[in-house]
Amino acid sequence: MQDVPLSWYLGLGLFMFSTGVVGVVIRRNPVVVFMCIELMLNAVNLTFLAFARYMPAVLDAGESARSAWMAGQMMVIFVMAVAAAEVAVGLGIIMAIYRLRNEIDLDEMSALRG
Amino acid sequence: MTSNQLVFLMLAGLAALAAVGVVAFPSPVRSAISLVINFFILAFVYFTLGAQMLGITQILVYTGAIMVLFLFVIMLLNLGAPDAKAKVSGWQTAVAVALGFGLFGIVAGQVILPLSSFTQPRSAIDYGSPQAIGQTLFTGYVWPFEITSVLLLVGIVGSILLAKRRI
Amino acid sequence: MNGNPFDLIWYVLGLPLAGFLVQALFGGAVIRALGPAAGRRVMGALAVLPIVAAFGLGVSLVYNLIQLDPSSRNQVVTLFDWIRIPSLWVPFELRVDPLSMTMVLIITGVGALIHLYATGYMAEESDYARFFTYLNLFIAFMLILVLGNNLLMLFIGWEGVGLCSYLLIGFWYKDLANSRAGNKAFIVNRIGDVGLVIAMFLLVSLIASQGPSFVFSEGRFLSYDVLLSQSAINLYVANPLLTTVIALCLFVGACGKSAQFPLYLWLPDAMAGPTPVSALIHAATMVTAGVFLLNRLHPIFEASPVAGAVVAMIGAFTAAFAALIAFGQTDIKKVLAYSTVSQLGFMFIACGAGAYWAGMFHVTTHAFFKALLFLGAGAVIHAMAHEQDMRRYGKLLKYLPITGATMLVGWVAIAGVPPFAGFWSKEAILGAGLGNHYAEAANQNWGMVAGWIGLGVAALTAMYMTRLTWLTFFGPKEQWREIPLVDNGHGHDHAHAAHHDHAGHGGHAHEDHGPDEHNFFYTDAEVAARAEVPAHHHELDQTHTPHEVPISMWFPLVVLAILSLGGGYVLYNGHLFEHWLYPDGLALLSKEAVEGHPAGIPLLQLSIGAALLGIIAGLAVYWRGLPAKEGWDLSRWSPFRRAAANQFGYDRAMVEAGVDGGGFLANFAWKGIDVLFIDGIVNGLAAAAARLGGLLRTFQTGYVRSYALVTLVGVVALLGYLLIVAQRAGAMP
Repeated sequence: MQDVPLSWYLGLGLFMFSTGVVGVVIRRNPVVVFMCIELMLNAVNLTFLAFARYMPAVLDAGESARSAWMAGQMMVIFVMAVAAAEVAVGLGIIMAIYRLRNEIDLDEMSALRG
Repeated sequence: MTSNQLVFLMLAGLAALAAVGVVAFPSPVRSAISLVINFFILAFVYFTLGAQMLGITQILVYTGAIMVLFLFVIMLLNLGAPDAKAKVSGWQTAVAVALGFGLFGIVAGQVILPLSSFTQPRSAIDYGSPQAIGQTLFTGYVWPFEITSVLLLVGIVGSILLAKRRI
Repeated sequence: MNGNPFDLIWYVLGLPLAGFLVQALFGGAVIRALGPAAGRRVMGALAVLPIVAAFGLGVSLVYNLIQLDPSSRNQVVTLFDWIRIPSLWVPFELRVDPLSMTMVLIITGVGALIHLYATGYMAEESDYARFFTYLNLFIAFMLILVLGNNLLMLFIGWEGVGLCSYLLIGFWYKDLANSRAGNKAFIVNRIGDVGLVIAMFLLVSLIASQGPSFVFSEGRFLSYDVLLSQSAINLYVANPLLTTVIALCLFVGACGKSAQFPLYLWLPDAMAGPTPVSALIHAATMVTAGVFLLNRLHPIFEASPVAGAVVAMIGAFTAAFAALIAFGQTDIKKVLAYSTVSQLGFMFIACGAGAYWAGMFHVTTHAFFKALLFLGAGAVIHAMAHEQDMRRYGKLLKYLPITGATMLVGWVAIAGVPPFAGFWSKEAILGAGLGNHYAEAANQNWGMVAGWIGLGVAALTAMYMTRLTWLTFFGPKEQWREIPLVDNGHGHDHAHAAHHDHAGHGGHAHEDHGPDEHNFFYTDAEVAARAEVPAHHHELDQTHTPHEVPISMWFPLVVLAILSLGGGYVLYNGHLFEHWLYPDGLALLSKEAVEGHPAGIPLLQLSIGAALLGIIAGLAVYWRGLPAKEGWDLSRWSPFRRAAANQFGYDRAMVEAGVDGGGFLANFAWKGIDVLFIDGIVNGLAAAAARLGGLLRTFQTGYVRSYALVTLVGVVALLGYLLIVAQRAGAMP
């Protein structure tokens, strides 16, 4: 939109990212941790889009430069696709662990202890 | 304060609250619901950025598929109850929150502030339209596109494998 | 060999060596083949003959030497090069000169007599051939010592005689006490040898600093013709401090060999060996090696009055110390041992005062009368069924006329009554001490002090020797008649000096590994194997009648008695001996400094008076035999005598210091250094590594969240650094 500075979008994105990071460190439930990771990914998406809108790599919209000009959005598409695949597999792992231990609590899983 | 800015601020506020809610709610279900709200709001933010196609995709993929998946898992594993066990020790929380603030502060101060002069969008109006995205995706980015489809295939196979009781 | 008559000296050396080889290789076989009696006669003859032949050759060589002009009486014959490297050349060379030939005559002459005596003394010894092997080897090494022309040859002989001393002291090695005595002798000798070796190093460094062309030596830095040359003497005078150090180190070596304080303590223990050994090694020859060394290297001592004073005073102190200890001894051999130490002290008084010839003179006369006394004591012990304690003797003169008469001659000789040999040499020593102006240090004429002490000790010598002789051969009654009758079936020796087979051993229970009642270790097989040798031993009891010794034993006594009677006068008359050894006088000291005739002191009267005083005092105290307070009841002994019996505590102090000190050092080295320090470092490093690992392990909690937290910390830190610090430094836009 007009008049909304770039820094506001970036600020929102940064806020979401920081929150997500704190959530990853704090929460004990792996599903919630996963969700925080998704939050972080979305913050990144937002940042890409904001930059694509306000500081595109090239300024003219000619055919030859289309790829560079659309790069930000392309990035977002692929991030979404990968996030989807990752969630599927990750939740499958969590299910498998649950079936094995009948509980999922990150603080109980210390088999890699040195 | 123009009207655009006001709208954005409202949206941003809601999204921020929802993000905090994801982390703060003890119950996983409420965290999931907060995340859904967050994603939804984020789609509207994408609309304000002129990326219509991506905004719809956000709703379809993230809120429609991914979050549904999350909720299914939460339901299957019966994680509805709030985390009954003791919370994380206080000092770890404090350190993490402090680090979060630190991260925010550092990046905000060093990266975002120098960019505060950019206040007007510079891309074309229809840069977020499906045509534009389609044209770019299937010409310039066809190679990553195909690879991503393979990646999705791998994800499918993997998750099916993980879900089986006996391999 | 090119017809040089002095090449015969190699035969003088080679004959005892050949005897050693014959005894070693064939001795046992011959004795087994011919049977004990005949075999021992043969091997005994084969042991004595080489020494006698060597003596004959020695006499002929002396005759050849006399034909030469006095200043050329030092012939060097070389056999081969032992060490030949650019910085040092040590040939295997012998030196024929008056000093070495004197010693050769003493060694082979007195040695031959003692060998003859030993054939009789050891006649029933089962290890007959081994004894003469060692004895011949000893003669060979001693000859190398005195004949060698360089210090390394002397050192070979030095160590060799130390080895033979050890072998012979511990001859009856199955008795642990004898082995320990042998060990003590060897170890204490080695302590002295450190001094000798250091002196050799210093001498080489001193002489070699002048370059190999010094005195045309071409690197023969240890040979006497280099060390005693005029240029070398100038070198000694020019380096007084170093020369004093060298002299003192040499004296330390001499102390070890010649049993001076503080290294004398092996000599009394060495009496554990057979009596011929005591006579040969510890009276006549080996212990005089120290005096010989001082005579050989006299220029070094002449260049250092301080060293001379030290030598004289230590000699005097040792003489007095040993004489006092002799009063507390009741074992006849021990008295003679301390007498030897004391007489050696006299020799060092003379050498310290600068009259080296007087020391050698006393060596000669002492060889005569001390060998005589030891051999006589051996005869007495042999006759008294191996009883060595003088408290059991008395009135033996009528049973042992020859032994007694010869021992009386020896007694008067050692007391120093003219015209017997001891008087002349003792007067020479005392005159050298009292009349010297050389051995001065710190403005005090120590030679004179030593001389006065020597005079006192002369009186003491006469007194304790009178004690010994009177108790043994005279006295009020025959003390052994007091011993109750003992069953002769099996004996229990008081003495450990000699060992004879026991007839009645069959009745004893022997284990293979334990000692029998004499601390002898035998297996039953050995006991059974010896059973056929006739037992010729019975216990000393009141029925015992001593009988005179066979001719093989009294003949040497008679010869030595004749020498003790007239030898001194012959050698002294007309300064014969002095001119024989030092025809050109001493290297540095003038005649006036070592005058030998002290002005203003009636030396003749004093020395005769001291001797007579000692004899009369001895007779007066011991006329009625040993008084009760020196008798069997130790509790009645006066404190002085009890202390004297224990060497005034010196022996015990030394042994304890050595054992405890060594033990303490060893324990400290073990527990303190090895375990605590070295192992501590090694184990400590391992423990530190383990602890560090344990510390680092706390990071591996296994909890994903803590990993995530740590990662977050890292990321924030990195970002902070990159975005703030690097940007400020201009590394980023």
